[in-house]
Amino acid sequence: MSTKTITLGPSQLALEEPMYFRVQTEGEIVAGLDVMAGHVHRGMEHLVMKRNLYQNITLLERLCSLCSNSHPSTFCTAVEEIAAIRIPPRAEYLRTIADEIKRISSHLFNCAVIAHITGRGPLFKQAMEIREIMQDTKESIYGNRMDLAANCIGGVRCDLTPESAGYLAKQMELMKAPLDELFRVYTTDPAIRERSEGVGVLSRQDAAGYAVVGPVARASGIGYDVRKKSPYGAYDRLSFTTVVEQAGDVMARIMVRLREAREAVSIIDQCLADLPDGPVWADTLPEIPAGEAIAKSEAPRGELVYYLNTDGTDMPVRLKWRVPSYMNWDALKTMLHGEHVADIPLIVNSIDPCISCTDR
Amino acid sequence: MMEAQENIAAALGRWTGEEVAVAWRLDRKGVATGWCRLRDAANILPAARAMANLEGRLSMVTAYLPTAAPRTGIREIAYHFDLDGATLTIGIQLPAEGAQVPSITPVFRNADWNEREFMELYDIRVTGHPDPRRLFLDESIEPAAFERLIPYSTFSNGASGKALWERVMADNARKETP
Repeated sequence: MSTKTITLGPSQLALEEPMYFRVQTEGEIVAGLDVMAGHVHRGMEHLVMKRNLYQNITLLERLCSLCSNSHPSTFCTAVEEIAAIRIPPRAEYLRTIADEIKRISSHLFNCAVIAHITGRGPLFKQAMEIREIMQDTKESIYGNRMDLAANCIGGVRCDLTPESAGYLAKQMELMKAPLDELFRVYTTDPAIRERSEGVGVLSRQDAAGYAVVGPVARASGIGYDVRKKSPYGAYDRLSFTTVVEQAGDVMARIMVRLREAREAVSIIDQCLADLPDGPVWADTLPEIPAGEAIAKSEAPRGELVYYLNTDGTDMPVRLKWRVPSYMNWDALKTMLHGEHVADIPLIVNSIDPCISCTDR
Repeated sequence: MMEAQENIAAALGRWTGEEVAVAWRLDRKGVATGWCRLRDAANILPAARAMANLEGRLSMVTAYLPTAAPRTGIREIAYHFDLDGATLTIGIQLPAEGAQVPSITPVFRNADWNEREFMELYDIRVTGHPDPRRLFLDESIEPAAFERLIPYSTFSNGASGKALWERVMADNARKETP
C-alpha cells in the first residue's frame, strides 16, 4: 500500500478561513494528522493590552463573527467580577437572549455546511432559509446580522421594547416547526446518515483525554455545559436540558446542535415570559480596581474562558482567553484516523471549527 | 463544597510537598474560583498531577508580565484548571531573565498548544515539551514577541491571503528552479 503525506489547505475543506493540514495517508485511508495554525493570527492578545477596557468590548466582538456575542459578554463579566459590579436582573435576561439567538444561528450554519459537504444542496438551502429567520431577527432587534454590539460593562446596550419583545416571540414561534422538521430530515435522510453515522468517532475516553468541550464533548457522552456547571446571566433561573449523545460520530454532533437550537428557542421563550422590569445597565460604574478574575460562558462551540488581570488603571495588565476550538482541533487526530481521505472535509467541519477564534 | 475545597488544598500539599493555601471566592451565582500560588515553580508538574488525580481538566494557561515586572524582575504564569465547574488558578513566579518551567503536557495533553503559544510570546523555556515547535508565529520572527518591539504587520504574520499566497508562490518558484 502506498504511504504518502498530503497537505490540505489553506482554503480547501469547505472553510472560508485558512488552516493547513498535513495528512499521512495509506492508500485512501488517513494514518496521521498534523494541524498547522496561525494563518489568520492577528495578534489580538497584544492589541487588547494597548486598548482600555471599554475599547476592548468593541475589539473583542470582532474576534469572530459566529460567536461574536460570547466574547464581549464574557469579557464584561470578568470586569464586573473584579469591580464587584452587579448587573441589573433585566440585563442578565437580555444577555442570555442575545447569546441564545447567536447559538441558534451558529448551530444552523454548521448543520447547513455539513449538508453542503455531503452533497445535499436542497437541505443546505433549507437549513440556511431557517437560519435566515434568525438573521432577520438580529437585524431587526440589534440593527446588525452578525455583531450585535449588545453588551457594555454593567449591563447591555440594547433593551427590548414591548414591540420588539413581541416580534422576537413571534420569530421564535416561526422557528419551532422548521427546527423539528430539520431534526427529522437530518436524522432520517439516507445520504446524510450514510456519510455521518459511525464516521469520525471520538469515544468518551478520548474526548476527556483531549479535553474537548461544547457540542463535540456532549456528542461523545460528556454532559458538560457551562450554563449548568457555572451558571451566569439568567441561566440559573431557566429550565433547559443539557443535550448529550453517546455515539461520538458526525451524526451525534449534528443531533446535539439541532437539539440545542431547539432548546435555545425554549430558553428565549422563557426569558421573554420572565423578563423583569427595570434598568438594563448599572447606573454608576466604580473605578475598576486592581484584581484578577475568571469568567466563563457556553459559547456556541463550547466553554469560553476569559482571564483578566488589572492594576487599577483602565488598561488591562493581561487579558487572555481560550476558545472552545483550541482543544477541539487536536481531537481530529483521533476522529480522522482510519477514515477515508474523502471524508476529511466532513469530519473537520463536524467539530464546527472556528479559525479566527483559534488564531486570534 | 467546603470539604471539596479543603481536599483540593490538601491534595496540592501532598503532591507538591508545599503547604498550599487556596483562597476561594464565590460569585453571586455560587460559582467558585480558587486562587493559589506555588513557592517553587517546578512544582507545577506535581500540582498538575494532583489536578489530574482529582479529575480536573486544564482550562487554559496564561503567561504574563505583571506591571511591576521591570522593577521586581519577576514574571508569572497562571494555570487555570476546571474542577466540575469551579476554576482553580495556580500561579507560579519565574525570573524575568532565564525563566524555565517544566511542561505539563505529559499530564494534560491539551497543555501542548498552551505551552507552545506562551513559548513564542514570552521569554520562557519549557523543559520536557514533546513537540516544542512554533504554534502561530513564523520561524522568521524572533521569540518572545510580547517582550520586544516588532512591527505589528510582522507580528501578525502579515497574514492577509495575498501575503500568504505570495510566499507560497515564491517557495514553489524556488523549488522548481533547477
